[in-house]
Amino acid sequence: MFDKEPNIDIVFRNGLRNFEVLPPSDVWDNIPPMPVRKPRYGLIMGIAAGISVLVSITLFASWYLRSSGNAGEGTQLAMAANDQLAITETPAAISNTVIPATTIAYRNTSVQAPVTVKNNDIIEGMVETPVVSPTVSDFAEPEEVTNYNKTLPLTNDNITVIASTRLTGHGSFSSQTMTPDKPEASEQRFMVGASVSPSMGFSPSEQNAHMAELIGSEKTRPSYTTGLTFGYKLSQRLTIQSGIGLESVGQTITGVDVFAGLSDFYSAKSNYLYSVETASGTILAGNTDLYLADTKNRVGSTIPTDMADPSKYNLTQVGSNIHQVFRYLELPIVLRYKVIDRKVGLNLSGGMSYGYLVDNYAYTRDEYGTIPVGRTEGVNVHSLSSQLGLGMEYNISSTISFNFEPILKYYVTPVSDFSGTLYKPYSVGFFSGIFFKF
Amino acid sequence: MQKEKDIIDGCLSGSRRDQELLYRRYSPKLYAVCLQYSGNTEEARDVLQEGFIKIFANLSHYGHEGSFEGWMRKIIVNTALEKYRNRYYLSRVDDIDEVDEPAAGPDTSDFAGLEAYDLLNMIMELPPKYRMVFNLYAIEGYSHKEIGSMLNISEGTSKSNLSRARDILQKKVTILTGVSRRMINV
Repeated sequence: MFDKEPNIDIVFRNGLRNFEVLPPSDVWDNIPPMPVRKPRYGLIMGIAAGISVLVSITLFASWYLRSSGNAGEGTQLAMAANDQLAITETPAAISNTVIPATTIAYRNTSVQAPVTVKNNDIIEGMVETPVVSPTVSDFAEPEEVTNYNKTLPLTNDNITVIASTRLTGHGSFSSQTMTPDKPEASEQRFMVGASVSPSMGFSPSEQNAHMAELIGSEKTRPSYTTGLTFGYKLSQRLTIQSGIGLESVGQTITGVDVFAGLSDFYSAKSNYLYSVETASGTILAGNTDLYLADTKNRVGSTIPTDMADPSKYNLTQVGSNIHQVFRYLELPIVLRYKVIDRKVGLNLSGGMSYGYLVDNYAYTRDEYGTIPVGRTEGVNVHSLSSQLGLGMEYNISSTISFNFEPILKYYVTPVSDFSGTLYKPYSVGFFSGIFFKF
Repeated sequence: MQKEKDIIDGCLSGSRRDQELLYRRYSPKLYAVCLQYSGNTEEARDVLQEGFIKIFANLSHYGHEGSFEGWMRKIIVNTALEKYRNRYYLSRVDDIDEVDEPAAGPDTSDFAGLEAYDLLNMIMELPPKYRMVFNLYAIEGYSHKEIGSMLNISEGTSKSNLSRARDILQKKVTILTGVSRRMINV
């Protein structure tokens, strides 16, 4: 089992075992206090703060949109009142304000009641039939409305139309505020869908030399997120989405030679025999049949060096890389704003996502399949990431839409606080999903 | 005596007292390792200091599995290796026929165990390149391939350096004890 070695080695090994020398007294004075690890409740508070901010933004946006709608209505009413006043005081101007019946070739006939005009002298040439009120879409045909000299207040959803009719005996100017057909009011506000988001991670540049060395020998693996998404339309353009998903991320640690068959020679007494330093934590090789070796001082061993040297055994190499996999249960909250609201629309989205680590393993791969290595210690169980996206929404029908959206995702909390550094990778991916509205 | 796990937990919670307790308990053994790799007390002191800073910084990654002392020793050895690489890379000479001047030995008044001290002193007097290879191979148990990677030398150079180190140590032991090389090798 052991190589025959010169006795001089054994003389020194045994002679220096347990040898102690008191260090100079000033060494301790030059060792700074160990930094205290951040308590976990800090992360929880951070998550709570993030959610609070999102909820606040949502409530504010909801309130703002609602109040904007009210303001619009108020403005129109005021305009209608002003128009009425103007008509009363300056009759000459009215001919330019009222809508001649001859020019009204509108399709809409949804006016419930005609409006009467008291002062017949003021309104000249008006038709005696009820005037139908136009809708927004009708006014969008300028070639048919040729006699307008004054711009009508068509900038909001509600349209105030001053209509007149010649009736004898009574009647007065009045305005009627009409609400155009509002399909939005009755349209689907809820949505549910399935999504998948393939992505590719990147590591930020690292100033810590040791960390940079570790990152340099690691390759990010393609990752993906699948999940169910629920949405609620806060307004015509703004939607809040949440849901539940499973995110799978990982990386490949290169340059670690993995040999199998160690258990034939060495009986492990600990839960693991080898460890591998990575940017995301330390892989503890719970598979005690494996012998690990590398050239970058990342591999550590619990095998006492004076007991065995596995490098001298006849072992079979089964891999030269180790793959790390982390799976998170993901709870996102995303606000999605329709920049262009058409059949093929454009969405801007932003939000945050809480992740809970549910799976963590490392493996290597040979020609016959995968071989488990162990798990990574030091990975933070909770994660918080932010995301930003700009993408396309294709409305296949009134109830089904398809989203395709490039997204940038950044980890707000570090994946690991290994070596005191804050390792926060980011990723670029595509959110794609199909949604059913109801 | 306070349990090792309690001391570690205390260190993790930021207790300076526990950090000092851990230092006082393990620094004599680890300082001996530092001397073994460094060749002089000044460098050994630096290695011990940097090593303990790393130990405290990475203490949360020690999972109470395996020997804590072994874990710390590995950090100290790696720190000594970094120091060696930084100091000797530019002036590295791999010619096995060239023998460096022995480094100055430590002040004998610092040490208590005479026999072990003699052995340590012999190692410290080795030229740095021989000392590193001998320590890594004979004491730590690394292979020549691993040593080659650690020190950026070929396996052949590692073997040659080891052979040369053994020769030097053998002669010193012979002189000190009066036992012939032949007897030691029996």
